[in-house]
Amino acid sequence: MSADACRISLDAFEGPLDLLLYLIKRDELDIYQIEAAVVAEQYLEYIRKALELDLDVASEYLVMAATLTSMKSRALLPASRGQEADEIGEAEALMRQLVLYKAFKEIAQDLRESEDLWRNIFPSAGERERWSADSPPAIPGQLTIIDLLTALEELSAPADKAPDQRISRPVLTIAECVEELGGKLQTGVWTTLSALTGIGFGRSRIVGFFIAILELVRLGRLVLRQRRPFAEIEVLRTEFW
Amino acid sequence: MLDRLSRDIEALLFATDRPLSIDELCELTGSGEDSVSQAIERLKAALEESGHSLVIAEIAGGFRLMTDATHGETVAQLFEDRRPGRLTRAAIETLAVVAYNQPCTRAAVEAVRGVNCDSALKSLLERNLIRICGRQETVGRPLTYATTEDFLSYFGLSDIDHLPRRREIEEILSTGMPAGQDSDLFEENRG
Repeated sequence: MSADACRISLDAFEGPLDLLLYLIKRDELDIYQIEAAVVAEQYLEYIRKALELDLDVASEYLVMAATLTSMKSRALLPASRGQEADEIGEAEALMRQLVLYKAFKEIAQDLRESEDLWRNIFPSAGERERWSADSPPAIPGQLTIIDLLTALEELSAPADKAPDQRISRPVLTIAECVEELGGKLQTGVWTTLSALTGIGFGRSRIVGFFIAILELVRLGRLVLRQRRPFAEIEVLRTEFW
Repeated sequence: MLDRLSRDIEALLFATDRPLSIDELCELTGSGEDSVSQAIERLKAALEESGHSLVIAEIAGGFRLMTDATHGETVAQLFEDRRPGRLTRAAIETLAVVAYNQPCTRAAVEAVRGVNCDSALKSLLERNLIRICGRQETVGRPLTYATTEDFLSYFGLSDIDHLPRRREIEEILSTGMPAGQDSDLFEENRG
């Protein structure tokens, strides 16, 4: 066999059914009269080569290989009663699946042709850009210059309080919390958790600091206390820091 | 020169940003269905006779004024940076199964194609060629998918009944779809 004939690529196939259809066509077999033994032989041969070449064989291909092997081995055994029906059922199910997949493969080809044609046909754009549904149109005469000035004045007025908007850091690591704690805690001084995290920075910062504190307590570097349930947690730096 | 109604329709089809159905055209022009259909035919003929690069196409449930395919490459240059690429083979096969079987679950698509269709479905959703249309009332309540209007426009179909070889596929389908893997499992347990 020439080197070319040995070149196996499963990438060219859209799964085991696609590969089977290819083999059936190549060997001019009748899709409605599949002989399990023949098809299984060809299919397994193909998969074996792919495995030898150390290609990644998707599990779907192996499942089909197992199904075909089982069909083939049953075909070789003398049929016992009841088994024959199973066999026919199995072969028929596979035949039906292949016929169905083949039909959709052809449809996909038809759709591909339509795609290629209609990708090159462009509709009139209409007023899509100017009057898109996303931006309601302003009606002429709806607003006056006074409205504009009022809006401008509101913008330039000094804000009496800081805006509510916060810029959140995506992730706060425990290591960063430990580092910050080290900077803030003085030996011998009890400090509250809220003083450490600061107020208004959001839940994740409190949680991060809390976990960092628990870890440091475990290592003996900090001591915790809480005077009564739900009271402020206080932290003390030990000499082991 | 074209008659008033044909020119009205031409103007509407030029300015619209979506296909206009016969009903809409009747309402907008205040004319009956027969006269609108005939006016469209006159407009089509006039465009063809005068050798313009525009055609009237019946697409996604209505009419649109569109460029002729022969000028595709020239016009495509305008959209070079934003025109999406062709669909992959996996995506187009998946789309075919959904189109003829809608509403249809992922398991049903995979039963036909024999491979995992997760990423194909995802890319079709992203391109708005399919949409999630509900859940199937079976075990696990899987999501069901259907095609969109964009799907019709994308393939130049006037409506879902005009899919190619619809009857043939329906015949094959009526002999029984292979069940999705999970539903198969439960059926066996029941039996």
